[in-house]
Amino acid sequence: MSGSVPYRNPGWAGNTGEFQLSEAQVRGDDFVGTRPLAGGHASGSASYPYMLEEKRPDAPLFEGPYQDRLDKILTRYPDKRAALLPVLNLAQEVRGHVSPETMDRVAELLELPRAYVRGVTTFYTMYNKRPVGRFLIQVCTNISCNLCGADDVMEAFLRYANTEPGETSAEGDFTVVEAECLAGCGFPTCVQINSRYYENVQPLDVPKICERLRARGR
Amino acid sequence: MAYPYASDREVRVISEYFGDPEARTLDGAKRRGRYKGLEKALSMSPDDVVEVVKASGLRGRGGAGFPTGLKWSFMPKNYDRPHYLCCNADESEPGTFKDRELMRWDPHQLIEACLLASYAIRARHAYIYCRGEFFETNQVLAKAVEEAYADGIIGADVMGSGHEIDVTVHVGAGAYICGEETGLMNSLEGRRGEPRTKPPFPAAAGVFGMPTTVNNVETLCAAPHIVAHGAEWYRQWGSEKSPGTKLFCVSGHVNKPGNYELALGFPLIELIEDVCGGMRDGNALKAVIPGGSSVAIMDADEARRCALDYEGVAACGSMLGCASVIVMDETTDIVKQVRRMAAFYAHESCGQCTPCREGTSWVTKILRRIEEGRGTEEDLDTLIELTTQMVGTTICVLSDSVAPPVQSSISKFRDEYLALIRRGERVGAA
Ligand SMILES: Cc1cc2nc3c(=O)[nH]c(=O)nc-3n(C[C@H](O)[C@H](O)[C@H](O)COP(=O)(O)O)c2cc1C
Ligand code: SF4
Ligand code: FES
Repeated sequence: MSGSVPYRNPGWAGNTGEFQLSEAQVRGDDFVGTRPLAGGHASGSASYPYMLEEKRPDAPLFEGPYQDRLDKILTRYPDKRAALLPVLNLAQEVRGHVSPETMDRVAELLELPRAYVRGVTTFYTMYNKRPVGRFLIQVCTNISCNLCGADDVMEAFLRYANTEPGETSAEGDFTVVEAECLAGCGFPTCVQINSRYYENVQPLDVPKICERLRARGR
Repeated sequence: MAYPYASDREVRVISEYFGDPEARTLDGAKRRGRYKGLEKALSMSPDDVVEVVKASGLRGRGGAGFPTGLKWSFMPKNYDRPHYLCCNADESEPGTFKDRELMRWDPHQLIEACLLASYAIRARHAYIYCRGEFFETNQVLAKAVEEAYADGIIGADVMGSGHEIDVTVHVGAGAYICGEETGLMNSLEGRRGEPRTKPPFPAAAGVFGMPTTVNNVETLCAAPHIVAHGAEWYRQWGSEKSPGTKLFCVSGHVNKPGNYELALGFPLIELIEDVCGGMRDGNALKAVIPGGSSVAIMDADEARRCALDYEGVAACGSMLGCASVIVMDETTDIVKQVRRMAAFYAHESCGQCTPCREGTSWVTKILRRIEEGRGTEEDLDTLIELTTQMVGTTICVLSDSVAPPVQSSISKFRDEYLALIRRGERVGAA
């Protein structure tokens, strides 16, 4: 289904003519800047999880700045259990996915039963239970995006990456998955790549976006 | 300034600074009047704050439309046990994209609102349960919280009032069901986000077993304005039962999709034709979903006479929900879109209740079969019966949410289902 809904802004949704904003302004980058790894008040301790391009499944957990962040997280809740999600977020940021070993380590740290941590981790879709590519591409195909051609966008990513839904491309760059509504429905199709939203994506934009990712990492 | 498009039909109370990057900074926010409402609230008693909100008639914007002041008044009126405020920022209902905009353009408005609500319900700690996918939004919000801590607005002595209130941004990990208030509380406690049976209600035993109030981002954001300007001021918009303004998230086949803040009661057809610049390509309107994926679909006739407030939408056989208006033109394949919504519920069901776990996946399978031309007319009856049995039989209302889109589409667009089914028969016979 193609129409002339104004899809003028591949990659972001700011320059509609009524708003002349830079991409950084729309994303809030000009306000936050690049967050220092150890920075920030404990209140945001939900940590500042990020999905990093570099994924190091063997990286040590909770050392150096990550230890600081962990300590801050623990101050924000009345019990240790409540820190489970933020701590798993942090573990995934460091390692790229949450392996059974990672879950066990987190269980030990928070003094929770191992089986309990596995049960919680597998409940949530954002924890990658197995390794993903450098770029995890999540295409929303839910109703608002679907009405504006999300299936074609999904198809275009799969074709470019030459892979199947949920699988990682041969060179390890792209994992393409179908996602549920990302709350960017007014800017269809909405795609999340690692930590970042790409809005108003059309099939034609896909090669450009992927090349830019490979070259610049974002 | 609605973002990314503006319209002069809007009444911008909470969305005034969308598209204005300066409003994000503490200085910018203060210059724009943020924290005035909180300052006034702190000079009143908590119960008086609740009374003002009650008098304004503000209703929950998270979907159910429950009166906010009344909800606050259920909280115990003492400091015996810790109370908690949970701000529901898990926004994941398909078609809804307002809370993300509220947080990323005007984070201080939400912080002020959380402090004000915490004060009113005597909570010392507010958690903002923010959807995990919102990495960028989270950064903006967390930075604003930090700024507010540094300025003494949040913390041990809120704006010099002697009251202690903490605010923590808590990031989820991707589960629609964590938007349901008891699922949210379980998730915040570090458990699977499975809804709890009620009672006990959150005001008696909520998060960490303590009295808790859960409110949507948009609901909270309205509160400081109401306290600052008074209940009567808020009632100048909307109707007796649905006062005030509301953000309408318009998506689908319109020329200018986006968030528009309008007085409740605004005519739906004017929203589409005027505010949103009409249908794309001048196509004819076919159907509208007025309140996100879990409400009944309206056909074009109903849409033409619908007024957008809680009662007006109900009179047209649907629900305002969180006012996520999904507009569909004549090219829309209704069966496919309903199947896509059903698949969403099948994916997001937490699996505790059999009618929901089994029902959502069977509905999806049957719809898929019809879509692929292998359905029968009895399938339509089965769908109605199945979805009817999914209403009122489960712990939370996710299960109930499947019935309205499925049943309304079958009754209003039966021809489309039949066309697919009959074509299938012919293919099978040939
Ligand atoms: C399955 C399900 C999902 C929900 N998702 C959300 C959500 O994402 N955001 C939200 O604010 N409310 C959501 N709600 C509604 C909440 O349970 C709750 O009613 C709301 O947060 C109350 O806030 P309010 O009174 O300010 O509207 C959901 C409800 C259900 C049953
Ligand atoms: S109705 Fe569905 S989502 Fe809700 S508690 Fe039951 S199984 Fe879980
Ligand atoms: S439907 Fe695609 S972001 Fe909401």
